Amino acid sequence: MGTVYISQEDAFIGKIDERLSVKFDKKIILDVPLIKIEGVVVLGRATVSPAVISELLERSIPLTFLTENGRYLGRIEPEVTKNIFVRKAQWQAAGESPQAIHVVQGFVRGKLKNYRQILTRRQRESSDIDLSKKITQLEQAIAPIDTTHNINSLRGLEGAGSAAYFGCFNQLIRNAEFQFSHRLRRPPTDPVNSLLSFGYSLLRHDVQGAINIVGFDPYLGYLHCDRYGRPSLALDLMEEFRPLVVDAVVLSTLNKQLLTPADFITEPLSGAVSLTPEGRKTFLRLYAQKKQSEFKHPVMGRKCTYQEAFELQARLLAKYLMGETEKYPPLVLK
Amino acid sequence: MNEIEYIPIAALNQYAYCSHRCWRMFCAGEFVDNQYTIEGTTLHDRVHTVGEGQREETWQIRAIWLKSDKYKLIGKADLIELENGECYPIEYKRGRKGEWDNDELQVCAQALCLEEMTGKSINTGYIYYAHSHQRQLVEISEELRQSAIATIEAVQMLLFTGAMPKAIKTKRCDGCSLYPQCLPQSADKVKRYQEAA
Repeated sequence: MGTVYISQEDAFIGKIDERLSVKFDKKIILDVPLIKIEGVVVLGRATVSPAVISELLERSIPLTFLTENGRYLGRIEPEVTKNIFVRKAQWQAAGESPQAIHVVQGFVRGKLKNYRQILTRRQRESSDIDLSKKITQLEQAIAPIDTTHNINSLRGLEGAGSAAYFGCFNQLIRNAEFQFSHRLRRPPTDPVNSLLSFGYSLLRHDVQGAINIVGFDPYLGYLHCDRYGRPSLALDLMEEFRPLVVDAVVLSTLNKQLLTPADFITEPLSGAVSLTPEGRKTFLRLYAQKKQSEFKHPVMGRKCTYQEAFELQARLLAKYLMGETEKYPPLVLK
Repeated sequence: MNEIEYIPIAALNQYAYCSHRCWRMFCAGEFVDNQYTIEGTTLHDRVHTVGEGQREETWQIRAIWLKSDKYKLIGKADLIELENGECYPIEYKRGRKGEWDNDELQVCAQALCLEEMTGKSINTGYIYYAHSHQRQLVEISEELRQSAIATIEAVQMLLFTGAMPKAIKTKRCDGCSLYPQCLPQSADKVKRYQEAA
């Protein structure tokens, strides 16, 4: 079960019986039973047959289009679920309601605790670096979260915690060929930032898919509600997963030397850095593997994959907003 | 209440199985197939081809619409048999006899519709269990009628208000295709959960 990523430029995505079949240059490069597919992501330019589109809609499998560098273009999926009760609860909590404050506390706490976990683990592994100052700064951002009842102040704590974490992100990279100074977006002008941006773009697709399945309106968020036309709720729920999934994949890719500087290209003038087609394939494979890796879900007490956890967290969020549970527990892993 | 919607007979069975599942299916529009629902559907596809026929002295009609204005019910009958001027409904089920008691309710609801449609009183119906290939007699007793009418009223209320019944974990959850949506234990688990400091 999982997401199919198609990064081959000019591929033809067709359907044979109950299988998705991807061809390039008259050769089949991928052939998967539709029953095993939860999402299809096309990077760059590909042809999708009409039969595939109707089949995917029929099966409620979202089809997402990204540019070849992973910038989100849009998606084709069936109409929102009929479960209006979830959306009603979501809209009723909009703004500075007690529920909105509670879930924002959860998103921010989840993200910062998972950041801290990455730093403390790295600190334990090697005595030659000192992350204690940054860990303390993170602690200072985490401590006041539960007593802060104003969303803007919570955004401030999130900003302070993220600044501390990215302030020492370079020390998490154990590969002399890659350096990181600070977070750069639109466009990323170094390999590490370009990997992070690409990874967050893939994560957004996954989390937005989960949010749609559960019946939410992805455009109404609580932490991210400053800009219209952004899938704010997907960005909200992504927070706790950024370190767990994307940062973890980026760091292990670099530290295991699975990508080299030769896997990146720099655009003239803008200096925008992106992966080569080959490098993109490698990273997509690693990201997909990460999503299928298992851990014990601390709340539900059973094994699950990150792919399943996206939907599980979205369901737990829906249950809290609908008054079925008394709190929203962000995914925090030890 | 003004203008009550007709309720599907199938919703009664779901409600008797689990009121929360009934809410998910008929209010929130969620439905997921699992092995049991697929077995049930293919079984009904075989039965639900409109037709009539003779079996010895019995006249059989398959898959016809049933309706009751008195109880505001609408649905389909798997099979209606007419014998010596008496007619009775037969409901097809996968599984074995006596797994849940909600199937009898559905037969009773069909009988209520048939009574209104034919003007005759109906005292028996059957459930045909595909696993055991056996028909089981359902006596349309006063007690069963009252229980069916009470369920009809409860489902009407549920569809009218849209209020979600609490999800409660029981043995029935094991075979339920909506379990991953419902997660009946999540409230307790969230309550007990202590996030790592």
